[in-house]
Amino acid sequence: MKAAILTDLTQCVGCEACALACKEINGLPRTSANNLLTAYTWSAVENRKGVNIRRQCMHCEEAACVSACPVGALTKTPEGAVIYDGHKCMGCRYCMIACPFGIPKYQWDKPIPVIEKCIFCYEKALKKGDQPACTRACPTGATLFGERSALIAEAQRRMEAQPDRYIPHLYGLREAGGTSVLYLSAVPFADLGFPANMIQDPYPKLTWKVLNKIPSIVTTGTALLAGIWWIVNRRIELQDSPEERV
Amino acid sequence: MKIKLPKPTFWTFVLAAIWAGGLYATFHRFYYGLGATTHLSDQFPWGIWIGFDILVGVGLAAGGFAIAATVYIFNLKEYKPIARSTILTAFLGYVLVITALMFDLGKPYNVWHVIVMWNPHSVMFEVGWCVMLYTTVLFLEFLPVVFERFRLERWQRRFQTITVPLVIVGVLLSTLHQSSLGTLYVLVASKLHPLWYSGLLPLFFFISAIAGGLAMVIFESYLSARAFGKELEHSLLANISRVIAVVIGIYLVLRLQDLSSRSALRYIFDGSAESLYFLVEILLGFVTPMLLFFSARVRASKAWLFFGAVLVLFGFIMNRLNVAITGMTRYSGVEYLPSWMELAVTMSVVAAGLVAFRFAVKFLPIFPAEEKLGVHQPPLVAAGKSGRWAMAALFGILLLLVAGFGWSLAAKKPNTPAQIPDPAKLLPAESLTFPEAIAIPKSEASPGQVTFNHESHVDQSEPNCKTCHAVLFSIRSVGQEAGGAAKAGHEPCGTCHNGEKAFNYEESCDGCHVSSE
Repeated sequence: MKAAILTDLTQCVGCEACALACKEINGLPRTSANNLLTAYTWSAVENRKGVNIRRQCMHCEEAACVSACPVGALTKTPEGAVIYDGHKCMGCRYCMIACPFGIPKYQWDKPIPVIEKCIFCYEKALKKGDQPACTRACPTGATLFGERSALIAEAQRRMEAQPDRYIPHLYGLREAGGTSVLYLSAVPFADLGFPANMIQDPYPKLTWKVLNKIPSIVTTGTALLAGIWWIVNRRIELQDSPEERV
Repeated sequence: MKIKLPKPTFWTFVLAAIWAGGLYATFHRFYYGLGATTHLSDQFPWGIWIGFDILVGVGLAAGGFAIAATVYIFNLKEYKPIARSTILTAFLGYVLVITALMFDLGKPYNVWHVIVMWNPHSVMFEVGWCVMLYTTVLFLEFLPVVFERFRLERWQRRFQTITVPLVIVGVLLSTLHQSSLGTLYVLVASKLHPLWYSGLLPLFFFISAIAGGLAMVIFESYLSARAFGKELEHSLLANISRVIAVVIGIYLVLRLQDLSSRSALRYIFDGSAESLYFLVEILLGFVTPMLLFFSARVRASKAWLFFGAVLVLFGFIMNRLNVAITGMTRYSGVEYLPSWMELAVTMSVVAAGLVAFRFAVKFLPIFPAEEKLGVHQPPLVAAGKSGRWAMAALFGILLLLVAGFGWSLAAKKPNTPAQIPDPAKLLPAESLTFPEAIAIPKSEASPGQVTFNHESHVDQSEPNCKTCHAVLFSIRSVGQEAGGAAKAGHEPCGTCHNGEKAFNYEESCDGCHVSSE
């Protein structure tokens, strides 16, 4: 199963039940605001001119953060969640730089901080086949849990059935090579603070194109340098002892 | 026994002040954390410690591998006199980079994880390994100097046999991680400004590191000559400057070509802050020194050589900071300026490098012996008119840059928020689907069952769930939630049923409670 979440922004009433359910299940302090993602708010509901926008980790199919982490602290599980192991992390924060959605947040207030972000309730629900706390809490069904392909089909059905209601764009279908969190909206996503100039290919491909050349750089480089050294040296030897030249 | 302390000079006090600030910042950083010490944030997670200490530090140490390759692989022995000081600069550079990294890492004690927890898909993983290995290589390349000092001739000879393989490994490792620092930013395709983002960043970082590293050789030789009364290897430095000019030429052609192929040329003159920083970087930091170094008259003057090298270093530093900070600002939506403590740490690290270099020169045979024979060589600085002009120009440019930077900060306008169409009307009320009627579990004292209906409580034309959710009544899955109201008695309902917003619950029980009889 490839789990996913479909959030239909036209159905969200902004009750923040998802944000509070997230805090409850993850033991996060209720004191911090619910409208902005931080290390202590992994699921937020932001209101921009009347549209309630639920924000959370996109759980990319091929995540930039997973490829960026030098110690493999971030991983994509077979179920679809991008999870994090704080014990491995050394705090380089390259994941924060790498993520095109700006999702991973840092505990800036702590002397020994870790990265924090939505982990799809992996240990507490998804691993056992349950849905995460946020979709369970949603009273209007605006944010749904399900199989990714099934949710894509449902989203496409909605867009076709009500073309006046939705813009013809399922955000997350292709963005960053596809994400496990999908959005439907009535207004263009760029106006809602969603990154606009996303590439449609997985981000890790960009760096892998460079990294996979390393073996050939090393082998040809060694041969080249050793060759130059040998030729130069041989020339000097011959110059020093011309009688060797037959 | 008396310990002779050096006579304190003006610079001793400057050093003491910088280190005092650095020490306080170090305490602050490790006791209160990154957030309290730096101006870093979730929007801007990498600041000057990465942009300057790491990117610039590693880049300017590139002279080490370039000169080592020149001397040992291309066998141009005439460069040997500057090899040791260059390798020392590189070694100290890497040690300082690693030191600075310890400040920036959130959990510096986990840095060894990169050795055992592999992720070959990570650029950072590769950078980590290469920096680790290359620092070791530089240490080994530098060891013969220590052997010579302590007359361990056997060891020195033993090391001579592995010099060439060591240099080859060093060149490869340098090539890999100098370019990989650029590859780090290949991943941020949608964040970095198009004036700097390119798939060719690894190539650009590598080429500019050669130019910057070689400029560092000139810079360091000139200052060593002044500080330690050592004759400048002028002809060598002049040759190096010519190489720098060619390297910069290649670099500029590639960058312009790349900008045009990504149709990003239009950003150069669009009048934005980015375009200004880009123009200063390219024109002042690369084009000007390239033209200078192509001139024989400039190469003949020590002061002008130094001047050109400083410009290249400026361009190099500007480039790295533009990639790490200027180019990332627009996406982040915040203006990052380092805190004084970030600056104090950076300056302390640089100062430590200078002091360590001084000590190494004092106690180890860094410069060729014959040059030290001169009992008291006066510092050789071109004191001619042209030299003074070079210094005046340098000072003038510096002043202009500081003034320009100050002005650009002062003139910063607040960001105007983007215009968003009002989509309130796009939310058709009839689309609301309410949960079914909720039967609230009753307590023993209850006069009758209460059933809550959303339909009678929500204004369909102006639905506002937040009036009740999720503060008064938490929303869990359907059915679970109702218990909350029963446990709380009449309180939550009474928030509105108080006789003002709705009828007072104390006045009419059967308004809500339906008796079963």
